[in-house]
Amino acid sequence: MFSELFLPVLMVIFMLVVGGYAVAVLDRLVASALGTPQAGGIWLAPIARGAWLLIQHANATEAPDWRAWRLAPALYLALAAGGLAVVPWSASLVATDLVTSVVLWGSVEALATVVIFLHGWSANSLLALIGGYRYVALGLSYILISMFVLIGVALPAESLQFTQVVASQEGLWNVIRQPLGLPLFLIVGLGMTFWGPLNLADSTDLAGGTASEISGPPRLVWDMARAAMLVAFSGVAATAFLGGGLGPWLPGPLWMSLKMLAVLSVLLLLGRLLPRLAPERCVTLMWVVLLPLSFIDLVWAGIGALL
Amino acid sequence: MESMNDGIGVDIAFLLLATLAVATGWRVFRTDSMVRASFFLLVSFIAVGVIMILLAAEYLGVAMFFMMAVEMTVMALFMVMFMMNPAGLNPMNMVHQERIAIGAGIAGFLILGAMALLAVFPDQPVPADLEPVRSLGNEMLGDSMLIFESAGLVLLTTMIGVVVLSSHRGRYGAAAEGSMPPGLEPGGDPAGKPEEDEAGEGEHHHHHHHH
Repeated sequence: MFSELFLPVLMVIFMLVVGGYAVAVLDRLVASALGTPQAGGIWLAPIARGAWLLIQHANATEAPDWRAWRLAPALYLALAAGGLAVVPWSASLVATDLVTSVVLWGSVEALATVVIFLHGWSANSLLALIGGYRYVALGLSYILISMFVLIGVALPAESLQFTQVVASQEGLWNVIRQPLGLPLFLIVGLGMTFWGPLNLADSTDLAGGTASEISGPPRLVWDMARAAMLVAFSGVAATAFLGGGLGPWLPGPLWMSLKMLAVLSVLLLLGRLLPRLAPERCVTLMWVVLLPLSFIDLVWAGIGALL
Repeated sequence: MESMNDGIGVDIAFLLLATLAVATGWRVFRTDSMVRASFFLLVSFIAVGVIMILLAAEYLGVAMFFMMAVEMTVMALFMVMFMMNPAGLNPMNMVHQERIAIGAGIAGFLILGAMALLAVFPDQPVPADLEPVRSLGNEMLGDSMLIFESAGLVLLTTMIGVVVLSSHRGRYGAAAEGSMPPGLEPGGDPAGKPEEDEAGEGEHHHHHHHH
């Protein structure tokens, strides 16, 4: 009972906390490496900011939908936890080895759209609402691209289970077998965590978008949830394309952590290097360029599976 | 799959989820906003999806999550757009034709309740080696492939058609060309057109008069 119920929960909570902290530290490292000075020590500053947010007053708007407004950050964190729960650390070390774990990750992406929209909608404030609507318009294209790319990795595995997807990469990792897959999926990752160039829901042109009205503990949970979602995403990307825990010499979980850190570093670097896209151009880019590319990726994967 | 067999945990989970599904389903009609109603319905569907996973329908249960998530988001936004209720935050009544609805609700409850109590259900426990995803795939791409594929193709054609019909660039581009607001009286000038347009687009204006 203990190992079946509590161990997976502990594992996921551990990953939420450590992963969120790792994102904050890595982002500061990347920023200072690129020449943006960071206030405070790199290791202590995220904790200090978290503690500061915790004792700040939580802002209130006029007649918000209180329940949805307070729940949305927690729900986004819960979705990140759901994603982390299906990421396998090795062939046997996985919190939930669901046979449809690839589809469950797809559901996490779809439900994230709902939660981000609710976060913007429930504040009863103009800029937050625009941020929420913006994410819905863009989120649909992220979900579609992600779906085609993930069907691509499910094909050689002949399974919708992430552990099988890892096992199918024993000879050749999907990043080489389906060269379009990982780049497309990384764009999805920046999109669904609205990070860097694809931060259109919480962007500065909307004075913070869906998060423009939150402060104090809700802001802390929202920031943590975004970081945790980035960690969950990098876990799925490492599993689907970089062979998960496969690798010589080192044990599986260590390989997996290294690959996740690599994916995270690439995402955070892209986030710091690329300028933010205009939302209209982003929709065009998604539907006219990236979605057809994801079709090509799927056809490529299908032909590869037939040969 | 092991958890399917330890009965009491599954029973407790089923009762909690069923209560959640019914309670949120009830809230759909008691809340005062289109957006809240849609997302209460989503929670209700998610609870049903988890019950389906408990029943070993692992693909259909998880598919319920993402299908309903997208569906309810789109539904909420479209309802807000059509209702002219700014952002759906203004309170509004979620029920209409109450007498008919109450009658239909009671009739539906009695019929379904009678079926649940009186019908003889087959007692066929799911075999331990069942692979739900594989068997569902065999069903959809085996004997019933023609039906599913043709339905899928029709849906895809419809979607592409709708996108093509609606994807003219609006506001600054092509879609506005040739579309004029209707006149205030039959055959009259387009309503809300500023006068200075006449100087620049005299020919166009003239052309319009002949209709």
